[in-house]
Amino acid sequence: MANQDFVGVPSQVDARSLTRGATDFQRLRRGLLINYIVLGAGAILMIVPFIWMISTSFKPQAETVSFPPRLFPINPTISNYIDVFDRANMGQLYWNTTFISVIKTIFNIYTSALLGYIFGKFVFRGRDIIFYILLSTWIIPFEVYLIPLYLMTVQVGWADTYTALIVPEIFTIYAMFMFRQFMYTIPTELIDAARIDGAGEWYIFHRIIIPLSRAALFTLIAFYFMWNWNDFLWPLVVISSHDKYVITVGLATFVGEFWNQYGVIMAGASLAIIPILALFIAVQRFIIEGVVLTGLKG
Amino acid sequence: MIQTIVQKFAGRRSSIRAAEHRFIIIALVPTIIFYAIVKFYPIFFSFFISMHEWSLFGNVSPFVGFDNYAILAKDSLFYKVMWNTMYRTFAGTFLGAFSSLIVALILNPIKRGSIPLRLIYFLPVMTSVIASATVWKWMLQTRFGLLNQLLSFIGIQPVPWLQSTTWAMPSIIVMGIWGGIGFTVIIYLAGLKGIPKDYYEAAEIDGANSIQLALKITLPLLKPVVSFVLITGVIGGFSGGFQAVYMMTGGGPLDSTRVLALHIYDYAFQRMFMGQAASMSFVLFAIVLILTLVQFRLQRVNWEL
Repeated sequence: MANQDFVGVPSQVDARSLTRGATDFQRLRRGLLINYIVLGAGAILMIVPFIWMISTSFKPQAETVSFPPRLFPINPTISNYIDVFDRANMGQLYWNTTFISVIKTIFNIYTSALLGYIFGKFVFRGRDIIFYILLSTWIIPFEVYLIPLYLMTVQVGWADTYTALIVPEIFTIYAMFMFRQFMYTIPTELIDAARIDGAGEWYIFHRIIIPLSRAALFTLIAFYFMWNWNDFLWPLVVISSHDKYVITVGLATFVGEFWNQYGVIMAGASLAIIPILALFIAVQRFIIEGVVLTGLKG
Repeated sequence: MIQTIVQKFAGRRSSIRAAEHRFIIIALVPTIIFYAIVKFYPIFFSFFISMHEWSLFGNVSPFVGFDNYAILAKDSLFYKVMWNTMYRTFAGTFLGAFSSLIVALILNPIKRGSIPLRLIYFLPVMTSVIASATVWKWMLQTRFGLLNQLLSFIGIQPVPWLQSTTWAMPSIIVMGIWGGIGFTVIIYLAGLKGIPKDYYEAAEIDGANSIQLALKITLPLLKPVVSFVLITGVIGGFSGGFQAVYMMTGGGPLDSTRVLALHIYDYAFQRMFMGQAASMSFVLFAIVLILTLVQFRLQRVNWEL
């Protein structure tokens, strides 16, 4: 019962209740203190897997299975990381994954911005029908496409190529939808004015629309880069040569080979996770604001 | 004089229209071709495959009509898979939505330090499921895993989390909640921001306490967001879970964590029964379609309220 005070009270109300005397003030302080305690406990649960992953990755094999568990290794070692780079060909995996993620993300964002602009800012016959037909593919689970797309890929001779990873995912419905929502915030008068001044349609799109869409652009780039980086099922099915593996497939294979060498496996997991986390923390301000900005309000 | 200006302007306008049309056509034609080939044709192709006994390496793929569907209807393993899928979907969605709601309600009034807290809750969302499943599998390891080692301090015998038909699925569900909570919290926080502050002020003047504010204002007004989270969670859940199950249990023990997505992959690419797998993917498609129509229905009801 003690933690009832905090539930769902916006801070503005709390701020005003400060003026109402000591009892309210104490109630507020106690309330927010409980908030911090509960959230802090939750936050610890959230990061324990990351901490334990990093901790194990620096332990020699004997220490990984020792009891009681230790946060800091007695004899920290980087030999696990060296093993991963040597035996899982980590450099190659990084390069492959980065290459594919960058190309896919560029295609995804460019096509989505263009189509979002067209569906959001132009009036033409059949616009809404075309948009809703495209949008309807959003609900179809990827598992429905898995088999036919794979057979089509084999048929055109793209099995085990990056073309097969990139081409089916050039266009993407989610980003297109988000850009269309965002386009409503750009004033049409601005576009008309540019036209009167003699700007071409592509010029307007590249030089006016894209720069004005920065908020949506950064958020969607970050999310798509992350999704493309973490993609698993399609690369697992399509790519069969080890030297073409992406990082998720490489890690899954690696875990199978080194199943009981926990230090090595955790080093592999850390190397798969940390670059993308670092990137996200670097741009997180944009993202958390952008999720709201792009209209993801439910 | 005026006439020429009007004519000039009209000419200018029509040339703008022509340029616009060219622009639209250049952008739309490739898109429509792409969607026709990559998004619509495969659905029909998949249905065609599901009507055949299709194996990747066989030269002949005899037509079998609806036999693949009839086999599913009598297959006890498929029923088990559907039960597992629903178990994971509903337990994961409801527990996830509930815990995210609690976190969002506690996080909402906080100003100082809220960004780092949000970031911490968001970390697993950014992490590849393959990588986090690897870590969870290690933490849940029976003899040396962190969880059992910690439990042993309070005298609990080691639990074989991922080797037990009772505990494997709950373990996967808990990992899924951990992985998704950060995203749902952000959706809730956006919803909470949309509740007008006047409502709270008015209620406070009338002497409402904070628990009343939460129950009588916050939750009812957040209901559309909650139902959005639940329905999209359930829809996504039916096709989800592949990566976690693939990495942590491979569907075992005794098929107790075999979910539909894994089952489809397994039939298509391990056992090479493509026709049978395609028929399962159509069952999945049908479920998702029905749920989506229900969602549209529910949303309409919400708007009318």
